[in-house]
Amino acid sequence: MSTPIITFDHVTKQFSLLSHKTFKEFLPALIKGEDTTKDFIALDDLSFTINKGESVGIIGPNGSGKSTILKLIAGVMSPNTGKVIVKGKVSPLIELGAGFHFELSGRENIYLNGAILGLSKKQINENFKSIVDFSELWEYIDQPVKHYSSGMYMRLAFSIAIHVNPEILLVDEILAVGDPKFQKKCFQKMLDFQKSGVTIIYVSHDLKSVENFCSKVFYLQKSKLVSSGNPKTICQKYLSNIS
Amino acid sequence: MYQLLKEIKDICHWKELLWQMVGREVKARYKQSILGYFWVILNPLAQMLVMSFAFSLILRIPTNSSSNIPYSIFLFVALLPWNLFANSLSSATNSLVNSSTLITKVYFPRTILVLASIISKLVDFVFALSILIIYMIIYQIPISFNILWTIPIFLIQQIFTVGLSLFFSAANLLYRDIQYLLNLLLVLWMYATPVIYPADIVPSQFKFVFQLNPMAVIINAYRQTILGGGQPNFYSLIIALFLSLSILLIGFSYFKSREKIFADNI
Repeated sequence: MSTPIITFDHVTKQFSLLSHKTFKEFLPALIKGEDTTKDFIALDDLSFTINKGESVGIIGPNGSGKSTILKLIAGVMSPNTGKVIVKGKVSPLIELGAGFHFELSGRENIYLNGAILGLSKKQINENFKSIVDFSELWEYIDQPVKHYSSGMYMRLAFSIAIHVNPEILLVDEILAVGDPKFQKKCFQKMLDFQKSGVTIIYVSHDLKSVENFCSKVFYLQKSKLVSSGNPKTICQKYLSNIS
Repeated sequence: MYQLLKEIKDICHWKELLWQMVGREVKARYKQSILGYFWVILNPLAQMLVMSFAFSLILRIPTNSSSNIPYSIFLFVALLPWNLFANSLSSATNSLVNSSTLITKVYFPRTILVLASIISKLVDFVFALSILIIYMIIYQIPISFNILWTIPIFLIQQIFTVGLSLFFSAANLLYRDIQYLLNLLLVLWMYATPVIYPADIVPSQFKFVFQLNPMAVIINAYRQTILGGGQPNFYSLIIALFLSLSILLIGFSYFKSREKIFADNI
């Protein structure tokens, strides 16, 4: 049961803020010998492991590095120092619909987004019905996505993302979309994933849902892991730190 | 080199995404406009007519062979592959920047974005090619088996295009000036390449420029094999191939060295 699926080993991630984006800014700065970059540390010497099947909540104020952790797990970013080891297929539910094209129909976008998430055409064909069923968008599936409401858009994106059969699911504050009925459906789906042994990383400001859903919570502040452990105690600690 | 093979294997694994991305570009283009794909034919046709008028009727640039090939065909044989090169390069250069939302969210081989924009330009090229073929039939341009040379020539052109595209797309992500610089470069480059004029009217002391410019060799070779019915200059072609492969390796290793910080810099 306790095989580590995600390991962060002394991970530090820096961003170069105010780096000069164009030659116009860059060249004069270089000639004058100014420092062309200013580093911002998003994660500072972070170490933790997440075991298979765990549901881990990550909480903390804005800018504490929560999203950076998800991006490192997704393999979109690499750490400056330290190591990130991820064993398993990751499905990011981070700001859904990033790959949608507005001019294309819902149907075409399912194929496109499925491919972005690493599905083959055959897999998408097999899941097509169940994706549209889940999104409840049969009526609009051949309409261009640009005519969708933002709720419909998110419903379609969520439906595709959950059909990837992930081993690791990254969830970033997405359950705030859709009407209450669809939110409930999404939450139910996440509980199903939890039961079937999928590892879930859940980033949210909604402490109540974190407390209910997660088996373990990481509390981040100013790029550092302040504490981790039992959801109830950690959330309480976070709340008392705010006030 | 090993990394390049590994990347090719990766791309094969993600080939579904590659085709979907190509499909996205191609479909989106004709859905947005009324004339849709007709523009792909109309654009080079209009360009050719205007240029033919300016350069053959007003400036009276000669065509290079003794056989009386109309200037418009002489121009078109060079203009089509040149346009393919220029359009591929400029759209590939913007491909990473345009997909910035994807790059910061999902992992997949980034080279796919560059390749997809190049392949979708290839689709345009095939459409535009049909005018050339119709044109050649109308004017009854004789062709020989030497026309098969266009296949290896075309491959060299694509290797060169991919290499440069990898370099420019990665550079453009870090410095957005690159796209403007590239547009300027492409205009100058076209005049340094025998597109609107035949290669043999250039004074011999400047000929070395052509040797070092793979596009000049490639464009000239198309003309020699399609219109002249002859064989291309092997020596120049080998140099062009060698240069293109070097550019591919340099472009690819630059791309790879920057790939890790793509998401940080958008």
